[in-house]
Amino acid sequence: MLDLLAQTGLNAVYAASYISLIAVGLVLIFGVMGVVNFAHGELYMAGAYAVVLLYTDFQIPFFLAVAVGMIFVGCLGLAMERALFRPLRDNPLGGLVASIGFLMILQSLAVMGFGVRMEHIPPVTQHVIEFSERVRLPLSRLFVIIAAVVLLSALWIFLKRTRFGWALRAAAQDPEAAALQGISINQTARIAMFIGAGLAGIAGALTAPLVSVNPHMGHSVIVTAFIVIIVGGVGSLEGAIVASVAYAFVHTFVTTFFDGVIADITGLSLMLLVLIVKPTGLFGSADRA
Amino acid sequence: MLSKIVKSGLTRRTFLQSTAAAAASSSLPRAALAVDKVIKIGFLAPLTGPVAAWGKPGLDGCEIWAERVNAAGGIKLGDGDYMVEFVGYDNEYDPAKARTGATKLIREDGVSFIMMLGGDTWPGVQPVADKTGMLFSTLLPSDLSPDTTTLIAPAEVHPIYNVTGVEWLAENKPELKTAVMCAQDDALGLPSVATYLAAFEAAGIEMLDDPLLFDPATTDFAPVVTKLISGNPDIVCLDTCYSDYVHPIAEQLFQQGYEGQIISCTADFYDQMIEKTSEEFLEGFVFQFPDFDDMALNAENINFEDPNGFYFEFNKRYPGQWGAVSWEYASIMDLWKAAAEKAGSAEPDAVIAAMKDGGTGKHAFGDASWWGEELFGIDNALVGDWPVVVIESGKARIKEFRNIPAWYDKHGDLLVKHMKAYDQMWDQRS
Repeated sequence: MLDLLAQTGLNAVYAASYISLIAVGLVLIFGVMGVVNFAHGELYMAGAYAVVLLYTDFQIPFFLAVAVGMIFVGCLGLAMERALFRPLRDNPLGGLVASIGFLMILQSLAVMGFGVRMEHIPPVTQHVIEFSERVRLPLSRLFVIIAAVVLLSALWIFLKRTRFGWALRAAAQDPEAAALQGISINQTARIAMFIGAGLAGIAGALTAPLVSVNPHMGHSVIVTAFIVIIVGGVGSLEGAIVASVAYAFVHTFVTTFFDGVIADITGLSLMLLVLIVKPTGLFGSADRA
Repeated sequence: MLSKIVKSGLTRRTFLQSTAAAAASSSLPRAALAVDKVIKIGFLAPLTGPVAAWGKPGLDGCEIWAERVNAAGGIKLGDGDYMVEFVGYDNEYDPAKARTGATKLIREDGVSFIMMLGGDTWPGVQPVADKTGMLFSTLLPSDLSPDTTTLIAPAEVHPIYNVTGVEWLAENKPELKTAVMCAQDDALGLPSVATYLAAFEAAGIEMLDDPLLFDPATTDFAPVVTKLISGNPDIVCLDTCYSDYVHPIAEQLFQQGYEGQIISCTADFYDQMIEKTSEEFLEGFVFQFPDFDDMALNAENINFEDPNGFYFEFNKRYPGQWGAVSWEYASIMDLWKAAAEKAGSAEPDAVIAAMKDGGTGKHAFGDASWWGEELFGIDNALVGDWPVVVIESGKARIKEFRNIPAWYDKHGDLLVKHMKAYDQMWDQRS
């Protein structure tokens, strides 16, 4: 039983890691730009396909492919900001609708470029850390956990300790006041989009060898990400991380001790419960809700 | 950056597709140009999305079939010879899109017969079938009911043939006593769960736990596998999971240290699974769909023409794409062609009457009977022998053909019991 609990705990830590990378990016974009980016799941998908192309097809070293994938998806975010979100900044629903359109474009490009079938990605490593006969952590999963801890810590330091980070937070709190203080709203939007998209990209790139990579893979992660940011509090980075960990542990343990369908129902019930008890989410404030 | 990557991706795939298309068109026989009468056949299946692996390779196989038939002079009906042409429609495994597709294929394209994967998409199409009287086929006989008089399941009696794998396993590896199972919670997964439960019970293999159902949107299978192997089962059964699930589950079983027996309905693209795990890990993996280069398919009782040549041609055109359904839709066309030629007509009523004449038919894996009254409420499934396939030294091999009705005669009550428990009998499905 102890082994089962430990293995389930390791599974949950991995799930919390990749979910938080995606959710934090989504929250950052919403917080700074006020845009609900429905294409965020497809940015995750784009990161995974970058690995398919670079690592599988061109046989570039995996971590180099992941880094290029993250930068590529970050640049994709910059392009979205400039071409879609900036022109529609004054239209409350414009960004949302544009992101849905962009989602379809990215899916279609993936279908045209790679076909509809699941992509095969050779394993990066088959090494497994064995804590006991029944408690194991594959190294490829550990990479995701380490990346999440490092990147989210770096983001935390960036937001709290750097001038760009302060500008970003100021723009998120009150864009007009920030602009009056000389902060460029366009620049903060660009930084937020690059970081937010890049986080989704690296989550897709790192997990690509572990999941089924196909043009529709973004659907399930975006649903999970929305549940997480609603529970955590829309616009709250801390909330996104705490809710990611909570959701991952609840979902993983319920899947293991009951089944996956009950786990999905439990996750949605958790969201409903939070909405009823604290409609702004665990860490949200009324003006962002 | 974007344009470079997209360009590279497009070039890679497009090059292969263009090459295949050029090869296909250059091999068109001169005879095809001399005949102007064409019979259109509808192909209404998922060509994109997570279930595409059970649609697209089937259409590819049908194109090869059509070229072979057209090269041999086409289909000979009462009023002359006809070339065959397939009209594909991607239903994305969505009932509403399937309904739109069926209407379009019948009204706009004028098809004479429509082949489907079935499952979740059939309820969307059934009203169209009822209204038009069009002849449809499904790969999933669980779509059949007394109301589906123009729906046939002539290629595979999914999931009933899964009993042959369990029966073979019990006879050849009697030391395996316990099993666990996981499945996606949908129209493909649940009847298969009931079938495997019946097969394990008939074989005296104990289920250690209830089948573990997961949402089809699941991407991380580590918790599912942790639960599955927590009781140290002798057998892990992957039910009729899609290949998008079989691969990551097998990889997780490998990574979490499972060393027992695996049985599954399918093992599409198993070479990729071997690369993700190891040849030793997948040794003895039991499933139900052979590669058609298997010499066992050259036996006299096999009704699929030149299976080895078909497999070679398929792999030449679509390298690495061979899967469970690559041959199935083509084998349905063999039956349809024989029936249409016998009837001298492509009219649905005439074809189905000719097809079911005498109560028997030539299934790809041998002569078979129209069957299913007890289970489906109608004898519209063509059932006979089915192969048990085992991965040995990294290659799928047919170990034996087993007779499905023979198993049902002995254990049919168990199957009905478990089908009822999962609301999968024809009179329980909504």
